[in-house]
Amino acid sequence: MKLIISEMVGLSIGEKHFIQGGIAQDIRSDGRKRLTPRPINVKTGVISQANGSARVRMGATDVIASVKAELGRPTALQPDKGKVFINVDCSPTAAPMFEGRGGEELSAELSVALRHCLLGGKSGSGLSSLLAIVSQWNVFESNCRVKIWVPLFVSGAGIELSSLVVVEGKICWDLYIDGLVVSSDGNLLDALGAAIKAALSNTGIPRVNVAAGASGDEQPEVDVSDEEFLQFDTSKVPVIVTLTKVGKHYIVDATSEEESQMSSAVSISVNRQGHICGLTKRGGAGLDPSIILDMVSVAKTVSEQLINTLDSQIAAAEAGEDES
Amino acid sequence: MAGKGGATSSTYAPSPTTQKTKSLIFGNNDVDWVRSDGREFHQCRPAFFKTGAVNCASGSAYAEFGNTKVIVSVFGPRESKKAMMYSDIGRLNCDVSYTTFATPVRGQGLDHKEFSSMLHKALEGAIILDTFPKTTVDVFALVLESGGSDFPVIISCASLALADAGIMMYDLVASVSVSCLGKNLVIDPVLEEESYQDGSLMLTCMPSRYEVTQLTITGEWSTPKLNEGMQICLDACAKLAEIMRACLKGTNSTLEES
Repeated sequence: MKLIISEMVGLSIGEKHFIQGGIAQDIRSDGRKRLTPRPINVKTGVISQANGSARVRMGATDVIASVKAELGRPTALQPDKGKVFINVDCSPTAAPMFEGRGGEELSAELSVALRHCLLGGKSGSGLSSLLAIVSQWNVFESNCRVKIWVPLFVSGAGIELSSLVVVEGKICWDLYIDGLVVSSDGNLLDALGAAIKAALSNTGIPRVNVAAGASGDEQPEVDVSDEEFLQFDTSKVPVIVTLTKVGKHYIVDATSEEESQMSSAVSISVNRQGHICGLTKRGGAGLDPSIILDMVSVAKTVSEQLINTLDSQIAAAEAGEDES
Repeated sequence: MAGKGGATSSTYAPSPTTQKTKSLIFGNNDVDWVRSDGREFHQCRPAFFKTGAVNCASGSAYAEFGNTKVIVSVFGPRESKKAMMYSDIGRLNCDVSYTTFATPVRGQGLDHKEFSSMLHKALEGAIILDTFPKTTVDVFALVLESGGSDFPVIISCASLALADAGIMMYDLVASVSVSCLGKNLVIDPVLEEESYQDGSLMLTCMPSRYEVTQLTITGEWSTPKLNEGMQICLDACAKLAEIMRACLKGTNSTLEES
């Protein structure tokens, strides 16, 4: 699968050298420097049936995230916490290689990665809030690359899962977060992370009034308000920064051409406090531990700008939506 | 099954220098807290490896770390499927499965679908794929009993099985995880500790080359803590690789030893 993808990028030897040489000289094919991301375009409220949604575009990469909330029952193990489900869909309309099993594989990898970023450790327990998970996916992975992930939600950060509980042990909100890759030109994970953050800040959870009097094992009656909505504080939600190593240098926000030349990639999820919420590496090539630590500190700097840009974009998108 | 060389040869806890800094950590925190199996925070479970566990495979290995029991078979290199495109380097096909009785709740192991692709990523950097063009090597891992830190054990065991199969590698791959419990870093966590963890760090490396092939972190980590966690893991990985190497050498001379 990986081979097919790298071949689909279809670069000649000359083009490959051009990309690698450009990165070595700190001027990439599209004129960016190594650590300059593409401009981000955020639009919120794109799906009216969802409780919250956002569309994020970075160059030709285009993703949509939607958040739907449904009332459900908390698990027996964690009666005081709501549940969050994350799924990513890569439709073949984005790229022919997403057809059939190819898309499935990528979807699964992205979902796992984001789930890690958003929902905490595999066990999902012990955390008062959503954990950012860093995980890895193979899309466009040609030879090897390291992805550093900044996990999305860290312990003590992100969404308080306990805030999703309506009646302890009986009723909670189940959040279904769905990502859709509309068009893919590299750096899907970072884009999806940003889209989910934007979608969560756009999300309104209806206020629920619980009818008094239910006791024991009875399921209490609830009244879901269609006027009052609660909002999430997404300021603590981390962003994901992927550093792709090409030759001796690493770049942020790689395009798929650049991704095809990577030796490894590290995805790091970082929150506003500059704490690492998750990290994952991909690509076969090994990395010296000191390089990884170096990448972490670079990711922190980059994430700061990214969080600021994203926040202002989200604010602008929300304001624009209100007016219209 | 007991460790072949007694406790000394089969434990891979990080070096005493790191342990010194650890003792400080104990001092600051809940000192009364004891790990369920009586280990210190930076003490690993005894590791036991045995190669040649499956006769019909090209190479195989069995690993037992406390209650975590894993068996890995390597088949091939065999001809790649016709449907696959021509490739002048070899392919690696990894699969990780759990027995239905591996977990406390029957069939829970099905949650670990991502392990197969993660195993692939952890191993591919260490294997010299150019040595078997046009062919595929299959790595099948089966978790017989899940006792915590399953995935690091699978990786280490798989690299041993690959070595047993005679697949060319740059170095053995060793993997260790630490869990963050409160303010403490706990190495080689058991199932119970994993379920209470606030964060985890799993590091996979080739110790002789001092290269990290895979690193996965969850939860919130500050930079000093990240440094500490990585250092502990690197140290433990180096020691684990020694045990694995000893196991490989042991099978070469006498079967008894392994």
